[in-house]
Amino acid sequence: MTFFERFTFSALLISSVLLFSSCGGTDSDTDNNSSTVRSDMLEQTANNIILPSYQAFRTEVTSLKEAGDNFAENATEETLTDLQDQLKNTRLAWQHVSLFQFGTAKTVLLRTSANTFPADTDQIEDNIDAGDYTLGSISNQAAAGFPTLGYLLHGQDETNQQILAAYTEAEDAQKRLKYLQDNLSFIANKTSEVVSAWEENEGQNFLNAENAGTDTGSSLGMLVNAMVRHYERFLRDGKVGIPAGVRSAGVPRPTATEAYYGGYSVELALANLEATKRLFTGAGYDGSSGTGLEENLDALGHEELSDDIITELDQAKSALETLQDPLSTQIESNNDPVLTAFQELQQVLTLIKADMTSRLGVTITYQDNDGD
Amino acid sequence: MQKYISSHISIAPLVVFRVLFGFIMLVSTIRFAFRGWIYELYIKPDFFFTYYGFDWVQPLGEWGMYTLFFVIGLSALCMMLGYRYRLFSVLFFLCFTYVELIDKTNYLNHYYFVSIISFLLMLVPAHRNFSLDVVRNPSLRLQKVPAWTINIFKLQLGLVYFFAGLAKLNPDWMLHALPLKIWLPAQSHLPLIGWLFEYEWSAFLFSWAGAFYDLTIVFFLLYKPTRWLAYIAVIAFHLMTYFLFQIGMFPFIMILCTLIYFSAEFHQRLIDWAKKGWHFVARRSKQVSNEYSTFAYQPSRLTKKVLATVLVIHFILQVLIPFRFLLYPGHLFWTEQGYRFSWRVMLMEKAGHTIYEVYNPETDRRWEAANYDFLTPNQEKMMATQPDMILQFAHYLENYYQDKGIKDPEIRVKAHVTLNNHKNKLLVDPSVDLTKVKRGFTPKYWLNPFNDNQENWSTRN
Repeated sequence: MTFFERFTFSALLISSVLLFSSCGGTDSDTDNNSSTVRSDMLEQTANNIILPSYQAFRTEVTSLKEAGDNFAENATEETLTDLQDQLKNTRLAWQHVSLFQFGTAKTVLLRTSANTFPADTDQIEDNIDAGDYTLGSISNQAAAGFPTLGYLLHGQDETNQQILAAYTEAEDAQKRLKYLQDNLSFIANKTSEVVSAWEENEGQNFLNAENAGTDTGSSLGMLVNAMVRHYERFLRDGKVGIPAGVRSAGVPRPTATEAYYGGYSVELALANLEATKRLFTGAGYDGSSGTGLEENLDALGHEELSDDIITELDQAKSALETLQDPLSTQIESNNDPVLTAFQELQQVLTLIKADMTSRLGVTITYQDNDGD
Repeated sequence: MQKYISSHISIAPLVVFRVLFGFIMLVSTIRFAFRGWIYELYIKPDFFFTYYGFDWVQPLGEWGMYTLFFVIGLSALCMMLGYRYRLFSVLFFLCFTYVELIDKTNYLNHYYFVSIISFLLMLVPAHRNFSLDVVRNPSLRLQKVPAWTINIFKLQLGLVYFFAGLAKLNPDWMLHALPLKIWLPAQSHLPLIGWLFEYEWSAFLFSWAGAFYDLTIVFFLLYKPTRWLAYIAVIAFHLMTYFLFQIGMFPFIMILCTLIYFSAEFHQRLIDWAKKGWHFVARRSKQVSNEYSTFAYQPSRLTKKVLATVLVIHFILQVLIPFRFLLYPGHLFWTEQGYRFSWRVMLMEKAGHTIYEVYNPETDRRWEAANYDFLTPNQEKMMATQPDMILQFAHYLENYYQDKGIKDPEIRVKAHVTLNNHKNKLLVDPSVDLTKVKRGFTPKYWLNPFNDNQENWSTRN
């Protein structure tokens, strides 16, 4: 028996070495293997998707802050419109980074700080009135960030003249202006913290060899988990499902749309879906093609699945495109297309949450645990 | 037969087994606590997936849970030291098993294994040498015990390995190298062996080697000439699984437990080393060899009868339980009826996305439950592939909506499940109102069958 075991063992060892040397000879194999594709994908994602998206977002946030300063110095309808336009640009740029909530973005609560909606208008007015508040505290989560800026700059059914008056003629004009500027600084600080961290070491860590696997804590594991979590809770539900009433016993909540006061919720959702697709296909921020999750699946022999995901993503896009901004009006007048869009978004979710992660060997769990 | 049951043999292997098991349980408990899992798994969730018939097993709240885990750790320590062993071995078994019964989400074969081993340890005089109990009361000291006290562990371990091997003898594992074909390439970045996993044959090699290992390792361990080589294989196999998979303490538990197959002389040497080491540390010198009395373990006739009955029933169940799946229709991996408690370890890659569709007939409104509002990500993940959990959560939602004033909500489920590279399909019949379905062990007629001819994603399959 000893002899038999030794023999089997040596035979296995020798045959594996032989097989390796014969396979190692052809370089087509090594170019295409899953480990190389995975590291190519991580590199493309870190350097050509996440980094430029973050930098573009920071640029927009900086411009937003400047537009705010201009408005504070010289409040006219023109500077107000500039500020409103820049808010929209910034919120569009946000759609390309919101799906990367891991690392510093997660620890400083970038998403919760910048984009908790719907805005709590009572809390906002209370804060302005009191003049004493801590942005970033739990009680002020819905009274800070982009949705709050949307409320402050667009108001409810108000003309720009009326809004201008609130910052120039109203009794609390100075307080309101200060709240506006404090919010702009708040967002700018959080943003620069997150983007600097990525530029300094997070981007490198992301590509570190020790994070190259697929288990919990690996770069791919983090990325896919963040992507799926964002897609499920903040794109499918937050931007479409919740306002359409899917989570509130079927009763629509039009005021719960992302840009309720700005009225461009559908545009934001489309941008976010586009960012999701780019992450999947590996398309860089400038639109150039590269290695993505799609190529990862292909390398593992699952071309059909990656094709299906792209088809479903495109169908979800078409369904969103049938919706009219402002989304709140669409929901009130004709909610059915919104519900259809929700279902289309859900089709993608099934494929990325169940099939894609399963094929990639990534565990969808945001907590560490043992298996058996 | 006599030889394996009542003949008297050295107590040494049993004592070493007790010490090592207590030690590894202590380490596991500390690790569990330090990772914050007591909070994550037993305090944070709002809802727990109880076992059918064990609904009374509920978490004990924050302080209750921390206390329970403290008792588990303390019991493990006392078992290791052999301090008031009878009390603490029973406490360990009860507390550990209680914790495991709280939530199905956390079911792991190795937790089940720990429960069983601690159950068996509770029945044997493993504390009657090399223990604080013997120091306190030297008359307890035994040199010999009946062979069954040691052989039950060999048999139990043998069953675990053998059934794990038997479970691997299925077409997916043997003919398609699944799920290893999915899991191994995910590890292709590893140094030394990672390159192997790029090649499909390595998945086959590992699948077949794994099945061969599980089915035969016990025999190689029992047979003296192959024992050392087999133990090296045990270490290699379990370390490999440790590095490849997120499998926690299990590899180390098995590496230590399989030492029971070694001879009494081997274990006696371990004990002597330990004693020498201790005397060296304590700066005391004592004659080691004279410490043993010649008393043999002699339980009363009644005790013998009770023990024999309990053990016979236990092992009959151990052999039957893994086969209970034969009583159910359908594909075992798909329906998971009779899947747990059968040593089916790392056997399939399954994932899912479950959508709960709620309908209120009174208002004619439809909506979907946000699973993540009620469940932890881990619970959601485990539930997505296991029908009994899907049903339990439907009932939980029914109660939740009834509390909200909806008299008779109807709840249907779209449970998309992907199994071993097969394209996702619906596990549960989406037309069945799950609020009308009862829990239990009867076949789940409300599941869709698994169809072998269904579409397949993988071009490699």
